[in-house]
Amino acid sequence: MDLSFTPEEEEFRAELRSYLESTLPAEWSSPGYWDSLDRFEAFEKRRQWEAEKAKAGFAGIAWPKEWGGRGGTEGMKAIYDEEMTRARAPRGANQLGLTYLAPTVAVLGSEQQKRDIIGAILRNEEIWCQGFSEPGAGSDLAAIRTSGVLDGDEYVVNGQKIWTTQAIHGDKLFALIRTEPGSQRHQGLSLMLMDMHQPGVEARPITTMSGDQEFGEVFLTDARVPADANLGGIGNGWQTAMLLLSFERGASAFGMYTAMRQQLAGIVAAARATSRNGGSAADDPVLRQELAAVVTELECLRYHSFHVLSEVEKGRDLGFEASMTKLQWSETMQDLFEVFDDLLGPNVTVRRPFGAGADSSGADITDLAALQNQGLYSRSVTIWGGSGQVQRNVVAERVLGLPR
Amino acid sequence: MDFGLTDEQRALDASVRNYLRDRFDLTAVRAVYDDGEGDGHPRELWSSFAEYGWLAVTVPEEHDGLGLGILDAQVVARALGAGAVPGPWLPTVLATEAIRLAGSPEQQTAWLPKLAAGEAVGTVALDPPSSGSLRRVEYGAVADVLVVADENGGLGLVDLGSAKRRQVEQYDRTTRLASVDLTGETVEPLPGATPDVVADLLRRAAVLAAADLVGVAREALTRTVAYDKERVQFGKPVGSFQALKHSMADLHVGVTMAEHAVKYAAFAIDTQRPDVELAAAVSKAKASDVAKQTTAAMIQYHGGIGFTWEHAAHFYFKRAKRLAASYGDLAQSRERIASLTFA
Repeated sequence: MDLSFTPEEEEFRAELRSYLESTLPAEWSSPGYWDSLDRFEAFEKRRQWEAEKAKAGFAGIAWPKEWGGRGGTEGMKAIYDEEMTRARAPRGANQLGLTYLAPTVAVLGSEQQKRDIIGAILRNEEIWCQGFSEPGAGSDLAAIRTSGVLDGDEYVVNGQKIWTTQAIHGDKLFALIRTEPGSQRHQGLSLMLMDMHQPGVEARPITTMSGDQEFGEVFLTDARVPADANLGGIGNGWQTAMLLLSFERGASAFGMYTAMRQQLAGIVAAARATSRNGGSAADDPVLRQELAAVVTELECLRYHSFHVLSEVEKGRDLGFEASMTKLQWSETMQDLFEVFDDLLGPNVTVRRPFGAGADSSGADITDLAALQNQGLYSRSVTIWGGSGQVQRNVVAERVLGLPR
Repeated sequence: MDFGLTDEQRALDASVRNYLRDRFDLTAVRAVYDDGEGDGHPRELWSSFAEYGWLAVTVPEEHDGLGLGILDAQVVARALGAGAVPGPWLPTVLATEAIRLAGSPEQQTAWLPKLAAGEAVGTVALDPPSSGSLRRVEYGAVADVLVVADENGGLGLVDLGSAKRRQVEQYDRTTRLASVDLTGETVEPLPGATPDVVADLLRRAAVLAAADLVGVAREALTRTVAYDKERVQFGKPVGSFQALKHSMADLHVGVTMAEHAVKYAAFAIDTQRPDVELAAAVSKAKASDVAKQTTAAMIQYHGGIGFTWEHAAHFYFKRAKRLAASYGDLAQSRERIASLTFA
């Protein structure tokens, strides 16, 4: 066992850290900053900052240079995830494009598609949305109904997509569409690459229970897409979609771990500032036991990330084990915020229950409203990207081999 | 970056498991289990342990050992947990570690080669005693040497040759416990037992116990999954029912995380990583929790047969209970984690 990064990887960390320190405005990590902006203005700032970062060579870290990537190692990618979170850099503007579409294009795309799509994603010139889920096709993706009917050399598309991340900011949509009328389930689907800036495409935000509008829905009414704007061939959409989703596998959870450590630090500071039973909540033995149980799971997530990174570096496909990573981080995140709720007690639904200022330990507790929002947001993480129940089916059937 | 075991560690794992499969399977465990009056210390098994070097893993080479670390020792501990194997391996290794870390050169020369060769059985009592009589010393009835925590936070060594001891009746017969009367016995201090060294020893104990627990948990889950693939009710294998599937998926994630935690903690001890104290407590907390859950599930998901004496589920269930409560129970491990979190 050897858990050290190579000197080149550590050098990369130092370079990235210094780049982030010099380019991230201090106010960006101050409490409430992003919420104070108009959402289009906020998105534009993120998009531009990220495009500059890509120019400086800090994007597509483990991608080959021929795609415009950095040509770095998987270890560098893990370091990147960790350092971006540590520096509280804004969330990526083009995550769906970066994580899923670009690597799929690299495998299945024509030379023209590779040239047109991948670089534009890295430079944030085109923001890609994912058009998979529909009102009637959530966990059961093969139930999709959005139809594409051939008209000359274009498909005319009608239907509705939902839970589209950043729908209102999107330029392009990679959408799973039933291009063969009357086809069933996994047959007759195609992955089409659609322009969202056309009359037949309408994106509307969905306001979630935490009050934010990260997700949206996309209405397609006689929208048009050229027949050759597909990935993997007409009728092969299911296979293309499965390849696309497989690029989530092997992602280590170092970034997620680092984010939850930051959240934990906020909760610890809040505990010190909370009175309980005539003393500090930090001394409440029940709360201490609850918090320790979560820290146990959180540390296990870190050890698991070492395992994942190490396997990926050896070139092994982790296959369905990725479901375990998802279960571990998503359940741990919810448990962490359950402890936060217990800590807040009757203040649990009060916005900003603490006055601004430092607690007795000097830690910053002014960002508790953001923590409360993250706590509400945590209720979504066991639903999107494969619900906890679907992940358990995968582990039981594909990993343990239990019968269907 | 490499989180995997070395080829040598894998070979060690295979050699212990192959030996147990061929020479000391659950039928042999049962013979020890059913002989409640016996000393629970099968001598042929012990000779083989010695012969293969499994008692000498952490003993330095100058004392006829292999000079390896806790990451290697946990490989053995895990295999012994998986086999629900009786015998004083764990207490002997812990006594060995105490003497290696805190003993004088004379004490090391006197005991380490004998312990490594299986010529002496060691044991430990690491909770400070309240009186002259220790109540639950693992294999106290057959041990030759005892390392005992004293009231001042140090460690002492007792040659048990003439000590009065009596085996304690208990439920988990994959081991034996004894009361040991230290009245009138000579307790020789281990001179190097500083608070840091004692803390290090306690971490080693916690991590090796955790390793045994994850061995128990993994085996319990594997056996349960195999059974529920075959067991038919309502015309279908019961393992096809989602209520069982989801529960077993959760257990698989839990056991896997505990396996990672034990490996990481053992490595952290061997390389003195800065988070070693947290890692040891996390590994013990997670392994204790998951082993209890998994062995309880083993009974439940075997149905009635899992509750019988003739089935092996209770070997694992009782072993998990005992080890979860030893060398830092769940509440103690979590309190340790909390104090590090609030530090």
